[in-house]
Amino acid sequence: MTLPEFRLLRPSNLSEVFAARRAYPGARLLAGGTDLVANLRHGIGRAPALIDITAVPGLGDIAEELSSLRIGAAVTLERLSNDPLIALHAPALAQAARQIAGPAHRTLATLGGNLCLDTRCIYYNQSAWWRQSNGFCLKYRGERCHVAPEGNRCRAAYSGDTAPALLALGATVELGDGTETGWVDLESMFQEDGAAHLRLGDSQVLLGVRVPIRSGLLAAYEKARLRGAMDFPLAGVAVALRREEDRLADLRIAVTGTNSRPVLLKDCEALVGRSIDEKALQQIDSLVQRQVKPMRTTLTPAHSRRRMAAALAVRLARRLWGR
Amino acid sequence: MSTILTLTLNGRTRTDLVADNLLLIDYLRDTAALKGTKRGCDGGECGACTVLVDGEPQHACLTLAARCEGRRIETIEGIGQHGRLSPLQQAFRDKLGAQCGFCTPGMIMAAEALLRRSAHPDEADIRAALSGNLCRCTGYVKIVEAVQEAARGCRTGLGQPQGLAHAIGRSLPLIDTVEKVTGGAAYTADLTAQALVGRIFRSPYAHAEILEVDVSAARALSGVLAVVTGADCDSAFGVLPISMNEPPLARERVRYRGEPVAAVAAVDSDTAERALQLIQFRVRELPACFTSQEARAPGAVSLHENSPDNVLREVHDEFGDVKAGFEQAALVREERYQCAEVVHAQIEPHATLAQYDPERQRLTVWSVTQVPYYLHLMLSRCLELDESRIRVIKPFIGGGFGARVEVLNFEVVNALLARAAGATVRMNLTREETFLTHRGRPQTDIRLKLGMSAEGRLTAAECEVVQRGGAYAGYGIVTILYAGALLHALYDIPAVKYDGYRVYTNTPPCGAMRGHGSVDVRYAFESLLDTMAEELGLDPFALRRVNLLAAPVQTGNGIVVNSYGLPQCLDRVQEASGWHAKKGRLPAGTGIGMACSHYVSGAGKPIHRTGEPHAVVEMRLDFDGGITVLTGAADIGQGSSTVMAQIAAEVLGVDLGRIRVIAADSALTPKDNGSYSSRVTFMVGNAAIDAARRLRDVLVQAAARRLDADPAQIECFAERFTVAGREGAGLAFREAVAAALADGGSISTKGTFTVPLEYQGGRHRGGAVGSTMALSYSAQVAEVEVDVDTGMIRVRKIWVAHDCGRALNPLAVEGQVQGAVWMGMGQALGEETRYDKGLPLHASLLGYRVPSAAESPPIEVHIVECLDPNGPFGAKEASEGSLAGFLPALANAVADAVGLRMSELPITPDRILEALTRRQRDMRQRELRLAAPGAPS
Repeated sequence: MTLPEFRLLRPSNLSEVFAARRAYPGARLLAGGTDLVANLRHGIGRAPALIDITAVPGLGDIAEELSSLRIGAAVTLERLSNDPLIALHAPALAQAARQIAGPAHRTLATLGGNLCLDTRCIYYNQSAWWRQSNGFCLKYRGERCHVAPEGNRCRAAYSGDTAPALLALGATVELGDGTETGWVDLESMFQEDGAAHLRLGDSQVLLGVRVPIRSGLLAAYEKARLRGAMDFPLAGVAVALRREEDRLADLRIAVTGTNSRPVLLKDCEALVGRSIDEKALQQIDSLVQRQVKPMRTTLTPAHSRRRMAAALAVRLARRLWGR
Repeated sequence: MSTILTLTLNGRTRTDLVADNLLLIDYLRDTAALKGTKRGCDGGECGACTVLVDGEPQHACLTLAARCEGRRIETIEGIGQHGRLSPLQQAFRDKLGAQCGFCTPGMIMAAEALLRRSAHPDEADIRAALSGNLCRCTGYVKIVEAVQEAARGCRTGLGQPQGLAHAIGRSLPLIDTVEKVTGGAAYTADLTAQALVGRIFRSPYAHAEILEVDVSAARALSGVLAVVTGADCDSAFGVLPISMNEPPLARERVRYRGEPVAAVAAVDSDTAERALQLIQFRVRELPACFTSQEARAPGAVSLHENSPDNVLREVHDEFGDVKAGFEQAALVREERYQCAEVVHAQIEPHATLAQYDPERQRLTVWSVTQVPYYLHLMLSRCLELDESRIRVIKPFIGGGFGARVEVLNFEVVNALLARAAGATVRMNLTREETFLTHRGRPQTDIRLKLGMSAEGRLTAAECEVVQRGGAYAGYGIVTILYAGALLHALYDIPAVKYDGYRVYTNTPPCGAMRGHGSVDVRYAFESLLDTMAEELGLDPFALRRVNLLAAPVQTGNGIVVNSYGLPQCLDRVQEASGWHAKKGRLPAGTGIGMACSHYVSGAGKPIHRTGEPHAVVEMRLDFDGGITVLTGAADIGQGSSTVMAQIAAEVLGVDLGRIRVIAADSALTPKDNGSYSSRVTFMVGNAAIDAARRLRDVLVQAAARRLDADPAQIECFAERFTVAGREGAGLAFREAVAAALADGGSISTKGTFTVPLEYQGGRHRGGAVGSTMALSYSAQVAEVEVDVDTGMIRVRKIWVAHDCGRALNPLAVEGQVQGAVWMGMGQALGEETRYDKGLPLHASLLGYRVPSAAESPPIEVHIVECLDPNGPFGAKEASEGSLAGFLPALANAVADAVGLRMSELPITPDRILEALTRRQRDMRQRELRLAAPGAPS
């Protein structure tokens, strides 16, 4: 259970971060380390170096811009849970942060780390002995997916809680590689492949997140889990909606814990212009049930997780509509 | 790569050279030698290593030491001042916030961070702040109270000497809590020793014939001092003399994934790990059975030659005329129930330390054992070493719950390594390996049939139990017998038939777990009682009341019940919970349920029938006026040493501060049969009374001579010997001691206790199991909310009444009862082991969901004192009997809330959702049938 050998680099500015990435191909970025260190301890992944980005100025800032909130990738979940700007402009993000792991994780863990959280699976998050005894798996060192042996891709589930909240809020992320920096939709950072769910280049670094501030938008996040703390989501749902009189002006729903990426639901606009009545809620239920694809990656059966996701979406939509 | 690290540790600046990949937990424990920070999991799952970094709680096991440059680190060792306890430490001591103490340092640090941030947190704040710190003993109730107490800033002064009061019947902190709250308690992994590192090579196969275990490359690796395999030990071990069939290291066959095959001792853990990778293990795989059904199917491969049908033991008992009973019944119902396998998950992972002196051929072993005596016997057997050459010492133990009653394979393996290396070897198991070692409560299938009159009077019971026992016998025979035996002695049932089957499967061996054998059957029984009560239109309390025993009584299977507080338990929880206002009257989705349970106060017959007394305690008194109690009973966090001290103080009429307890070191203390079946307070307590009375007699004799009185007239209380009816100061305790010592120097006495034959069970085969001198009784009520959208269950509150006879230490009784009920809650709501072709999917504290403080409810304890004529001061069992009742109380509450009868444990959200779907489908089909033409109207 000791950690593999690596070199720990502690750059003090961004250009040193990029230089370190170039100097150590295969190096991993280290922020809180609550996911990475736990995985390394289980013999999952090896890296010649860990690049600690927490000393880089600016990555830990939260700032209100003209019509958005800019949140540095190294802002801790504890801070997200309690920061007044977040509470004012993105309370759903604070709700998501507060429901992650336990208090001693949240003081370390960061927004960037949670967004880039490795996917999870009962056949993957096991010890080296265990995975070896099972012939390894498609995600790491093996050739077979034990969840869907007939398929050719890894089904490990994305389990970050902040991503659905940010997707529902329409967030963009800032990516840099040392030569250029740019903003892209958060959704485009992910793809449906448990073994390669992040569409980030080797040299790219997630620097921050921008959440648009839109008046009248109400959003909330809730997750299903067996315990009141510690557990990753069996399903986690964020709903954001805007109500104008008795009609829905905007609706975005995002789900985590069910697919290899956080899923921003399609076809929500079909409900725009209508009122959220029982029929509309039923439609939301079936939107979720149709679009999420939980697999046998947790001890809780997939079909229950699908149902939980739908139930949470309906509950949140009803609650936000009635507010 | 290494870094020079400078940080402030508990107020002092220090500088060390640390490797880049060194974790803060290892820096603290090994570099800085601060062992108070505990390791309870394989990374970030239990919170036992919580420390403060710049005032913020962090997991030391997820933090790289090198990242702490310039930081201020605080550990449990740093929060007291000048040797005095901090307010939180004091409160954890006074309020029994620590039982085994293993989670305590991390828990206190998490609470410290909270109180610095928020001076007056409410209960929800406290539970949230502690939600990442798992505790397995307390159910968090007293932890929350301790934090509240510390926040209030007042001290109860419980820990202060109160020389003049009675020591019995008083709420007292445990005598060893100071060590637990300061980080000073040395658990096995904390013991300082120059030791090699022992590691086990485990089978990746579920069932296979061993062709070759080639350890030559491992042995040749530089830094490897010893390698052992099954060839180094041809003795099987086991807890029951009649069924020892487990080799410490597999020979000829492996029977479950994770079974030890070989082991290495090396200079450090990296070398040991590399050596394991060099072991070549060649096998011929065999078909495997993972369920009882597979193992019992015709043609199934046999795990053991002497059990071709894979059944370790069948039990067929009938007491009374069951057929007639069912014929008389107005209502007969039969149901099937399934209970998942669960496991103790004590927060301290397994660990052992063995020191072998090759010159004198002596072995000393420190280990996480509940029964040092069994370990002593099995070490002697497996190492073929005379018992006189072995010493077994029990350090502080981080919880047991039955996991550590049996000798465990790694304890023997490590001793084999120590002898092979001629050195001291330390073996700390990972959390995963601790799960693989298992000995949990078996997966159980139950078929139960009950008959009752229209008034609810039971006429007959018939029960069939199948337990999936795992790969070796272990405690199996006892577990399957207990399941039948404890159908009796809770209610008056005229006729009981029991059929039990203990099955071998290719999964880790099951064993004894809190409420041994009785829990799953009680769930079935109390669930079916409620189902039938509803059909008969009877209130669940009323149904229980018409079936009460009339003590003293002997049950059909020969269990003697002398004291029976169940009626009072029923009254207490019914009133406290507001049952009548709530039952059937709560809003939809909310419900209330009740159930009863019981347990033995020590198994009447010891496993090793040597003819010796069942318990022996020695006491010593010398010139210093201190009394040393010597007992072999293992304090595993339940507080047995405190009970012994209280008993000595009470009988001798002295201040508790005079008493010192030395426990469980075979070189110093008399043999004890150990901490299992809730026997210690009852049996060892009675032996302690005997020893203390003999010591008092010596003092009384001396005092009588000095006071010139008849010994029969001497009274001793509050450290003073006086003559009845005579004015005057009498003799101070120290004067009496001086007088007694003058006769012949230091005084030693010995007390014993043996369960009389009439309490050792019926004459039928297996009748010893279930026999006891006294039973505890319990009734409880649970109030729940069921979320029909997500299937989630929230337990709002639990009320429990427990008849423990005399509560020798009410605070400790409450703590034990809360812990038991809460452990039942874990089993009822979410805990379950799961295997994929024999590989455990649950072997972490994320996969195996021990409840957190966040969702754990308040548990209100009512102590019922129905004194038992044979108990020490009338005391009975307090730590197991209330566990089983929770499971059916929950199931009954769920039925009240949403009308679903859950017959499968645990009652997880997915099972609730499935049951709801099933009900909907059934209703739709019924409607369709009714709507169909020609349907009966």
